[in-house]
Amino acid sequence: MSRPFPYTYVSCPCADTPVPDPARKRKSREGSQKQTPEQGEQTAGGDSKDSTNNEHKEDSDEEEEEEEEEEQTFDPRSPRSNFSMYPPEQLLYCEDCHQIKCPRCITEEIVSWFCPSCLFETPSSMVKSDGNRCGRNCFNCPICTAPLAVSTIESVTGGGSQQGPWVLSCSYCMWTTLDIGIKFDKPTNIRSQLQKMTDTTAAPPFDTRTRQGSRAFADLKSPLSNLASVDEQAGNREAPSDQHITKQDQTATPSNAEAQFAALKSFYRNQISETSTSPSDPLGSDFGFSSPGALNRLMSLYTSSTRLGSLYGGNKKAKSKPPVMREALTPSEGLRISATPNPDPVISRLRSAEGGWDGVASIAQRAEQSPDVRFTDDLLPLPVLLRTKRAKRCKACKHILLYPAAVTTAPGSPSSTSAASAPSPNPDLNALTPLRPIHVLLTLKNHMFDPVRVTLATPSVTPGRVASKVTVLSPQFDIGANSDVWDEALQGASAPLTTDPKLRAAEKVPEAGKVWDKGRNWTTVVLEVVPGTLPSSDADAGGGDGEVRSGAGSAPAQPDEDVLEIPVFVHMEWDAEGQLEQQDVGKASKPDDLVARELAYWMVLGVGRIQPSF
Amino acid sequence: MATLKPPPVQHRSASPSRTPTGPPKAPLRADPTATIAETAVFQGIHPVSIGAGTIIHPRAKFYAYEGPIIVGDGCIISEKVVIGAAPNNPARPSHAPKESTAAEPQADASNQSDTATRLSYFVTIGPQATISPGAHIHSSATVEALARIGRYAEIGSHAKVCAGCEVGERNAVDEWVVVWGSGLGQRRRRAREAKGPGPAVVVAAQVAQAAVPGPAPEGKLIEDARLMVLQKEREVLGRMIVPAGAGKKK
Repeated sequence: MSRPFPYTYVSCPCADTPVPDPARKRKSREGSQKQTPEQGEQTAGGDSKDSTNNEHKEDSDEEEEEEEEEEQTFDPRSPRSNFSMYPPEQLLYCEDCHQIKCPRCITEEIVSWFCPSCLFETPSSMVKSDGNRCGRNCFNCPICTAPLAVSTIESVTGGGSQQGPWVLSCSYCMWTTLDIGIKFDKPTNIRSQLQKMTDTTAAPPFDTRTRQGSRAFADLKSPLSNLASVDEQAGNREAPSDQHITKQDQTATPSNAEAQFAALKSFYRNQISETSTSPSDPLGSDFGFSSPGALNRLMSLYTSSTRLGSLYGGNKKAKSKPPVMREALTPSEGLRISATPNPDPVISRLRSAEGGWDGVASIAQRAEQSPDVRFTDDLLPLPVLLRTKRAKRCKACKHILLYPAAVTTAPGSPSSTSAASAPSPNPDLNALTPLRPIHVLLTLKNHMFDPVRVTLATPSVTPGRVASKVTVLSPQFDIGANSDVWDEALQGASAPLTTDPKLRAAEKVPEAGKVWDKGRNWTTVVLEVVPGTLPSSDADAGGGDGEVRSGAGSAPAQPDEDVLEIPVFVHMEWDAEGQLEQQDVGKASKPDDLVARELAYWMVLGVGRIQPSF
Repeated sequence: MATLKPPPVQHRSASPSRTPTGPPKAPLRADPTATIAETAVFQGIHPVSIGAGTIIHPRAKFYAYEGPIIVGDGCIISEKVVIGAAPNNPARPSHAPKESTAAEPQADASNQSDTATRLSYFVTIGPQATISPGAHIHSSATVEALARIGRYAEIGSHAKVCAGCEVGERNAVDEWVVVWGSGLGQRRRRAREAKGPGPAVVVAAQVAQAAVPGPAPEGKLIEDARLMVLQKEREVLGRMIVPAGAGKKK
């Protein structure tokens, strides 16, 4: 895996399929011999429950589920498990569902937009009307995209008065708005000032401008747009329309890109509504463009086969010609013909010393600008793009798991685990010696305010061809509540917690049935691991039992097969305060409103990489 | 900054005191108003001259092995700048001066003028920049941090080489040109004169039937402002670096 050793992954229960996978069952059956008695029962049950999902403590099927869990060993090497393993910091815990939630079980929703430069939040209505760019003074350099600073010219050259023209300047590439001949009269509301300067619709300031502009162009409907098809309009095109076009060209030609876009949009909307609701079209009358009827019509338009034609369109001859959607014909409809009929000025500018290669805007620079910008001198400063803050919701119950404003540290699943490396002969985790036992310290931390009882379980032999033996020396233990940090410091003055754990580790000996170390909200236990031998070298060193189980012992080693990964089943129980009397589980509820909760999941410890022996 | 001391100008400019063990010390001729950090390194056999008001930060290295180094007035040379090339630099140019065989260190006058590294007035060199021998940086240019200027490169006045950019051997950067991006980067000409309003503004004004806004001030204004700020920075820096010895020197 990509992380440095040791690492932990937690398997989210969501990845398990409803359909039981027989191949996977067989593999696990081979993996652990002691589970064979339960096989028949399990396959007979054959239910579609998640094998590792036992977060719901229901009385009825509790028995079944637990049996199932015992039966199946999580195999970190199975291709499916790749999709369910997440590092603990990416996981959240839903307090309503009592389940671990991975990024796939979460929906994100946008809470607000903010400018990364000035950190002001923008309401969503503004974002919808004005686009997702900062409406204040935040701009990026059109040349190099560095943020621009608003600075005055007068205070440096003249007196110290903060009057006089203002410019935007880039401190990296030294671009200023003077390069494009623009200065500002006020240091505030630069965007609306700039909009006024470059706005071609001659309208009120920019916050209302776009809406009004689009409405204005929607109203300016050419008489042509009433006509349904090009054929019909061809006859009477000359007399009324030309004169109309010329008149309109003088008054309001949308030379601004946004206005042009608005005009085109309204034009096409009209076209769609007119062509699809035309009474001459038997199919289009009922359906819009996004309906299957439209598809039928397209099929009948494009096919020349009489068979298909008779299938979809019936008798072609009998039907009148369907109306054709025409393209924009006038500038007021959004038509735009290249503004430079004479290319000579552009060519001479390209050849001049002022322009040249360095004066031509690059693709990256032009991508964000108006389409007919060619030279760097025509680039305008770009308002900063807004960013979003997102809340995370549980997909199942819509409970908000994470709210951006309130969150300082992500509340992980109730217990996050971290594996630590072994005590005294500190082995190189990237080259573990086969068959030499190592001790792995596993620390479990409790982030909840209730003490937790934990049971750990591992398969005695890791699944896969490289069989490593694993023993948890103390599989059952308690973790204290995540109480105030000061409690520990105040009451535990005499406690040996102050000593350096490294020092104590040197003289300590792992003992079965005892936890290694314990703190306020964490407990460390020892796992004894005997790394197996790699299949390529097990002919001579084959001491471990059953490391060749799948009969393919001579097959070449798969990539990453030498990584020692231990599946650990974690089961924890705690008494939570009953909330809202939700489906109160009768036997689990305690007299003082405490509800027993439990959570169980598979976890994978990546301990290290086994050395190919000799 | 506290480690900086007034430069032992007299001591250094005395002679190229060659110790048999250490590298040769370059003969330094510094203006008394220059501020040179004590940990700046001057090595080589050719003279190094520092102009008035120039500030040299600690651990700047001057290697005058291939030719003299001439730093003009009012420059700022930041920390760990390398000007010139260390003697055993394997990256010697193969096609550099004709006499580059063995007699190069003791080169004659014509060769000296060829490989002289020149920094004109008011040049700013950022931290850890490298200026190869023979480069000529004209007045008011800026070379930012970690930039590399190749041998015999020519940086025009008021030009800027942005951080991490590179100017190749014998390349030239014109006046008022910014080299930006990464590596050899892209170039951009700064506005020097007043520019007319752009086409977008002109079209907008025509549509609105308003007068086209008058020409903006000259782009030179910005550069003037930058140089004034630079001047102030130099003054403050001089005071910070030489807290006690400043009065004595002036």
